[in-house]
Amino acid sequence: MTTYWFPKAKLAQFIGERGGRSIYLPIGPEALGRLRPEKAGAAVEALAGARTGQSPKSLFFPTAESVGHYGPAAGAATAVEAPPVTLVGLRACELRALAYLDQVLLEGDFQDPTYAARRDALTVVSVDCADCRETCFCTLVGGAPYAAEGYDVNLTPIEGGFVADVATEKGRAWVEGLAEASAEQLAARDALREAMTERVRAQNAEFSPVAAESPPDLPNDDAEAWQAYAADCVECAACTNGCPTCHCFYLYDQAVGPEDFERVRTWDSCLLGSYHRMAGTGANVKPTPRPRLRSRLANRVLHKFSYSPQQYGLLGCVGCGRCIEGCLGAIDIRKAVQELSQ
Amino acid sequence: MISTNPYVPQPAKLVEVIDETPTIKTFVVAPSQPIAFKAGQFVQLTLPGVGEAPFTPSSSPSEADRIAITVLKTGEVTTRLHEACRVGMSLGVRGPFGKSYPLEKLAGKEVLVVGGGVGLAPLRALILALLDDLKPIRRLSIKYGARCREELLYTDQYEQWAAHEKVDLAVTIDNPQEGWTGHTGVVTTLLKGLDVDKANCFAFACGPSVMLRFTTLALMEEDLEPEQIYLSMNRRMSCGMGLCGRCNIGKYYLCKDGPDMNYALIQDAPNVFS
Repeated sequence: MTTYWFPKAKLAQFIGERGGRSIYLPIGPEALGRLRPEKAGAAVEALAGARTGQSPKSLFFPTAESVGHYGPAAGAATAVEAPPVTLVGLRACELRALAYLDQVLLEGDFQDPTYAARRDALTVVSVDCADCRETCFCTLVGGAPYAAEGYDVNLTPIEGGFVADVATEKGRAWVEGLAEASAEQLAARDALREAMTERVRAQNAEFSPVAAESPPDLPNDDAEAWQAYAADCVECAACTNGCPTCHCFYLYDQAVGPEDFERVRTWDSCLLGSYHRMAGTGANVKPTPRPRLRSRLANRVLHKFSYSPQQYGLLGCVGCGRCIEGCLGAIDIRKAVQELSQ
Repeated sequence: MISTNPYVPQPAKLVEVIDETPTIKTFVVAPSQPIAFKAGQFVQLTLPGVGEAPFTPSSSPSEADRIAITVLKTGEVTTRLHEACRVGMSLGVRGPFGKSYPLEKLAGKEVLVVGGGVGLAPLRALILALLDDLKPIRRLSIKYGARCREELLYTDQYEQWAAHEKVDLAVTIDNPQEGWTGHTGVVTTLLKGLDVDKANCFAFACGPSVMLRFTTLALMEEDLEPEQIYLSMNRRMSCGMGLCGRCNIGKYYLCKDGPDMNYALIQDAPNVFS
């Protein structure tokens, strides 16, 4: 693979010229957003920062989205159209999350057509982490703060610019006319990767790594042991909303015309009391297999660390740390897994 | 028009509504394209603009163009279905989803069917599939119970089912009732001293959670192994396709791996019967 050198100013110019509507970049520390071309310079600077507070999930798996119309006036089904979108600044953990969602939503017996269309329209320009947050723990779950696969272009921020790897035809336009990276620049890249890996490892030294091949043996979702964590949960769903792999959703129908009905898919959260509730004869008490909050919290952790490895051969956690950061009760999934593993 | 979008239902005309009991109706729909389901697989039935709910058809899988769905009025969608549905209306249906009953395992075996209340509905698809060709199996024994006489399903068909020499049927209601001369007691009372060839038998049960719990206990007390017991499990479902994440029992999604689960696979999971 040829590796290129992208001077910082040149990258800002390149991004600025591509216009704002279809490019999303970190706009400040909290989220990816549509780029305003005059802010391209600041956005490129932000690429050397830590991952954003919000996950990019909503950009290809929106919080609520129509998945189709039906009824006599709904018209013929048409192919789902998604405009081309380039996401700049995704981190290695987010690429692994994307691979996980691909597995769930595209690789089973049924494909999610809107996800498939958005995914197909996506160009992914990832960035190695030159900084991290206190909650980052990718190295505990088989990851690293730099990407090995899953990108079209990968950038490594070093002094003065970026070392650029191109993995796909889609990414080729990004490196046209660029010079090859020098041996010194490649050495600087390797040094950064090593230093960041060490930094993430060091801040997680008290925890043991886990792997999909040998998932942790956690107690089942009825076990009293989960109560120590559930006691601090306020069912706000920040963990599931922030999580780049959480994909639980709910379908609801609405009439948009007398004979035109729409089915909408919305994010849902397994922590919420309503999530598992079934139809039942009681007016207020609906049967649910997980009436206790501790069972719902356990189900989320078990899904990521026990069920996903068995269902997909993948951990459902990529170690981004957003659930720890977002939790009002300061629940730390690393601690839960570590302390409850048998 | 058949949609390639698995979220979108195909139109299905409501061709018949059968009042089964005060709280149960059977809706017979004719999908615009036949739905070739196997006994035990389920479909999502849509009431346009209101929503959908999962049901295992109660009709024979040999009729792909006329599917009967027996519905207890119990939640939002089912209540609206009961109240709003008139013959001629257009509903929606998508599917089939999930796994079928393991008919291939039943050759040379005795088949025990245990139903409680509306739970006989999906089991009827199994019964009708077996009645279509009884040669491979040794026996079909049906045990069915409901709370009272008025809540018994498909009463006009019992005689026809039991007319086959390989088939026997026992029906019970929970409490004695005027005019009822049959067995009384919950359905598990029909399982005491079970007269099936226990080593060569598979049991299929469907009913409310509490009934499934005590049926399982009763069957194990009669020396059936967990591997011989299939339970039609209840969990909230949304997509039906293994995507939305909500109908899991441990690592199994009922919409993909069920809805009928071999008890051996789920016996160690918590909250199986709640």
